[in-house]
Amino acid sequence: MDVRKRPFLSGWVPALSRWSVMAGLGLPSALAAGEAETPDPTPRQMLDRVDNLYRGSSSHGIMAMKVVRENWSRELKLEFWTQGKENTLVRILEPAKEKGTATLRTEGNIWNYLPKVNQVIKIPASMMGSSWMGSHFTHDDLVKQNRLAEDYEFVQTFSGERDGAPVVEITCTPKADAAVVWGRVVVNVSRDDWLPRSIAYFDEDLHPVRTLAFDDFRPLDDLSIPRVARMVPVDPPQERTEIRYEDLSFNVVLPDDWFSIRELQR
Amino acid sequence: MLTVRLAWRNLWRNRKRTLITVAALSLNTAVCIVTYGLMVGVLAKMQRNATRLTSGEVQVHAPGYRQDRSLYKTLAQPEALLATARAEGFAAVPRTYGYGLISRGGKSAGALFWGVDPAAEQDAFALAGDMAAGAYLGREPAGEIVLGRKLARALQVAVGDEVIAVVQAADGSLGNELFRVAGLFSSAGESFDRQTAMIHRADFSRLFVTENRVHEIALHGRDRHAPQDMVAALREKHPGVEVLAWPEISPHFASFMEYMRRVAWLYAFIFALVAGLGITSTMLMATFDRTWEFGVLKALGTAPWRIVRDVAAESLLLAIFSTGIGMAGGCAVIWIFQERGIDMSRFIQGAVSFSGVAFDPVLRPVISWAVLLPPTVIMWVTALAASLYPAVKAARIHPVRAMTQV
Repeated sequence: MDVRKRPFLSGWVPALSRWSVMAGLGLPSALAAGEAETPDPTPRQMLDRVDNLYRGSSSHGIMAMKVVRENWSRELKLEFWTQGKENTLVRILEPAKEKGTATLRTEGNIWNYLPKVNQVIKIPASMMGSSWMGSHFTHDDLVKQNRLAEDYEFVQTFSGERDGAPVVEITCTPKADAAVVWGRVVVNVSRDDWLPRSIAYFDEDLHPVRTLAFDDFRPLDDLSIPRVARMVPVDPPQERTEIRYEDLSFNVVLPDDWFSIRELQR
Repeated sequence: MLTVRLAWRNLWRNRKRTLITVAALSLNTAVCIVTYGLMVGVLAKMQRNATRLTSGEVQVHAPGYRQDRSLYKTLAQPEALLATARAEGFAAVPRTYGYGLISRGGKSAGALFWGVDPAAEQDAFALAGDMAAGAYLGREPAGEIVLGRKLARALQVAVGDEVIAVVQAADGSLGNELFRVAGLFSSAGESFDRQTAMIHRADFSRLFVTENRVHEIALHGRDRHAPQDMVAALREKHPGVEVLAWPEISPHFASFMEYMRRVAWLYAFIFALVAGLGITSTMLMATFDRTWEFGVLKALGTAPWRIVRDVAAESLLLAIFSTGIGMAGGCAVIWIFQERGIDMSRFIQGAVSFSGVAFDPVLRPVISWAVLLPPTVIMWVTALAASLYPAVKAARIHPVRAMTQV
């Protein structure tokens, strides 16, 4: 695997490019290290941050995904790469029975590679709402073609204390022409580090459907990022899918044809 | 008897008018009979399609299964249920269902997988013997799959091609297996054609990791047992499961059949109205012609009710005579088309279904007393009712005015 990791925020990177990367992530520059006073991020900047979480211009990492369902529960270990807003490649490392199963996302299409039958299948548009790998994340979530700041009208609806922590709440309603499955999305961002704490999803009738909660804020690759993302459906409430990032590097250099079906099958 | 002989003679006093009326009424009756026979025939075929092709006249499920079709709601004792059913002489098959994806090349489609026992299916249900292409599943599990026609077309697969099945297995893993297309089903209803992928139950169990569990027992009575009797027999011996007859399983289709029956009554009403108007018109003319006669009769002391009776008898006799001919004509037409059917497939593109049940474009009428009698009796009653106005009018004429008017 010829993937070279270029250390982020290392000494020789000029300060200018550091800021531009930060800005690309939607981070207010004040975060980097005690700089001059800058205004709080706007709701748009906060939403961009949420959309760009875990992505950067490219990334590579390992995560553990635990899925708890009514009739079964299982744990997977996955390796993943992302590039830009479009490309994602995820491969199962464990359990051994499913090792090698991979999912590729490019240009709004999703492909699965199944090592047992050595075949690649395309997920049809009709199944975009179905669960990915049995988890509570759907293929639609993986494609993530909708960006909060662009496809939704957003309004800051609350700023203050909740459960002892200072948060900002942004309520997003889909624009009339946006192809979005949700009726409303409510994002809670902490005022301490401007990182999201939770995202609540509502259907077209504005009934709550699921909540994505973020946890374990420790630096990964020198960036403060929630290491745990937990998707909990409203019904049935005892189910959940928990993703724990064990290793994550940003701005990795990836070969041009990395996100291709051929690569998927390796 | 005198009334009848007089009525008959009176009818033929104006042969042309009577013959024209007879022609109209008998045609009306014949058309009514043929239409009704067609409707009965087509509905009966659709009901057979609904129950004999695939779904069965009675189905048994675990309680709560039909609400969400959960993979996990299986029958506790399928073998015992099958044994009871077969002991009573019903045809019974076990089935397991699961949703998943079928893919070939770049094309994928969602499908409902059926895990079946091919030998039992061929014995009990007609679908296995009615393949559009290829053959049904073999008795032993061999990685074969049979698809609904529209599903095959969506995937652009033909008999002999290989497809992948990808499903969410019962233990959460991603089940995936290769299957070879053994055959394609003929049309059996819209959703069946679009979604069905049938595999051997052993293959299903491996793919879905269901350990040979069963969701459904489908039964029919081999033309010897009524569905309600079957339901009662099974409920008695197996109280813990849900046993339903087909009107409850397919309420859409049951209400569609009910709707068609009411439409038939509407047609009958319209036919009767038309016939009735014709009869009234004819009888009015007939009595007008004989105004002088009725005047003489009344002058001689005939009671009005006798005149009413005579006119009504004439009308009824006309009706009986016409319906006799109409019945013969209707029977002949139905008899000719009974086997061959009226082929409407030229007018219907592709396969059509009503309420999810396949509609056979070859329309076959049926003959039976149930088909012949209702239109006939309606015609008689209409004739009597339609003649009342002319009859009463005739009975009330003033004798002197009648005799001097002419």
